[in-house]
Amino acid sequence: MLESLITWVNAWLGEDVGAKLAYITNGKHLLWYASVRFTLIAAFGSAAFAVFFGLIGAALKQATFTPFRWIGNFYTTIVRGVPDLLFILFFPLAFEQTVEYFIARVKCGADVVAAATTWPPCPEAQWLLSTGDYLFMACLSLGIVYGAFAANVIHGAMQAVSKGQLEAASAYGFSRRQVFWQFKVRQMWVYALPGLSNVWILLIKATSFLSLLQIADIVTWAGRLGGANYFPRMGLIHPDWRWKYYLVLFIFFILLTMISERFFEVLQTRASRGMSLAGVKSDV
Amino acid sequence: MKKLILSLTLAASVVASPALSQTVRIGTEGAYAPYNYVNDNGELAGYEIDLGNAMCAEAKLTCEFVTNEWDSIIPNLIAGNYDMIMAGMSITEDRKKTIAFSDEYYPAEPSRFMATAGAKFDFTALKGLKIGVQGATMHAAYAEENLAAGNTILSFETFDQAVADLAAGNIDLFLADGDPLNNVAEASKGAMVAVGEGIRIGDGMAVGLRQKDTDLAATLNKALTSLKKKGVVDKLIKVYFKDGPFYSN
Repeated sequence: MLESLITWVNAWLGEDVGAKLAYITNGKHLLWYASVRFTLIAAFGSAAFAVFFGLIGAALKQATFTPFRWIGNFYTTIVRGVPDLLFILFFPLAFEQTVEYFIARVKCGADVVAAATTWPPCPEAQWLLSTGDYLFMACLSLGIVYGAFAANVIHGAMQAVSKGQLEAASAYGFSRRQVFWQFKVRQMWVYALPGLSNVWILLIKATSFLSLLQIADIVTWAGRLGGANYFPRMGLIHPDWRWKYYLVLFIFFILLTMISERFFEVLQTRASRGMSLAGVKSDV
Repeated sequence: MKKLILSLTLAASVVASPALSQTVRIGTEGAYAPYNYVNDNGELAGYEIDLGNAMCAEAKLTCEFVTNEWDSIIPNLIAGNYDMIMAGMSITEDRKKTIAFSDEYYPAEPSRFMATAGAKFDFTALKGLKIGVQGATMHAAYAEENLAAGNTILSFETFDQAVADLAAGNIDLFLADGDPLNNVAEASKGAMVAVGEGIRIGDGMAVGLRQKDTDLAATLNKALTSLKKKGVVDKLIKVYFKDGPFYSN
């Protein structure tokens, strides 16, 4: 199918365009395009975790029980201050080695672990992470970091819901739970969405760190394909073309951001239905 | 009914297969043509990939290639990420301290310098030059020991990066295995040339193994000897290196 298309293009537009088309549709390039899936899975997976941790964080921050409030504030202030790059390097490694430590304790015994000079302490404890495992770890790491941002945004948005509305709701006889879910959380989204949209855009950008976890993502492939090649067996001979490939990635991420902004505009309109929003910008 | 029987046999064979033979993982770099590289289809290919598969078939092992960056390829073998290294690795005394080697599968060849066309060097006394090597190679060790005085040694992560910097004029000389260098010189159409005398640094290339895996080493050596005798190794050398060096005659 591809070959016949290329032959057709050769005849129609000339050999040069045909050769270029053949080059950008060879197996390596198709693998590059397909690796976009890792970026998208990581973005949506991390976003799900971030909202989850964000809601927990926000709930903790306004808990009546003081130690919970401390935990909430600790989470949002400390984790927010850790560079995402550092956290994505630290967390999966720490998690993997903790698991290996406990496997080693169970399978090989505490004395073997104590005497070990190499890691893992004994070969039986070796945990080989697959791409799927790494992807999950990446989602969890980014989810924890951006969850701290999301917690702040959601906490602020809950505070922004007018007290009068909530008092009126209680006065009408709604229960505390109903007041929280039907009034506070329902109206909170309008104030939270602009902030969450920013967090989402930061998060999309952070998915470019996937290559650090040995995931062959779009950044890895761009580096591989663009790297200079002097071996005829490895395909087209070309000097360092990485800038061209990175430029394509720039455009990809900008497009993703533009689509996201459009999506958040629609969400914002939906969330604002039936609310009087004097003083709240309707655009994101 | 037929379908059911078929699927039952299939299920049985799937369950039974791991017990028959455990998968042996082979670590390679995938960035060192013609030994190991990623071809246009995005698949691993090269002399070592073909040879590794032939050896595993001969020894009735189930093998699987995995890629790993060159500079951590020995630590990750020891950690158990894979069981063998086939990555254009020459036998050296230094490496023998940490890992074991099989018999060689590619004869020792002199290492060469590469330079851009027209540059002149006095190889009896190299001075004031920037000399590139790939990090964690025997060439890097050799350069540190013999060329560091009076020259700057620059270490690159991959072979290709070193070549790119030579082409860009960031280094004066690049010291590496002779075969890949000749390939590059040929592809550059005269822009880069191999210069100076060949330097004999390491022994031939061989499979790197954990020192305690003596059974695996014995199995591989048996398979390798048999493949050399059958002429399979020479045939593969002919495919990837045209005029040798061969094991027969």
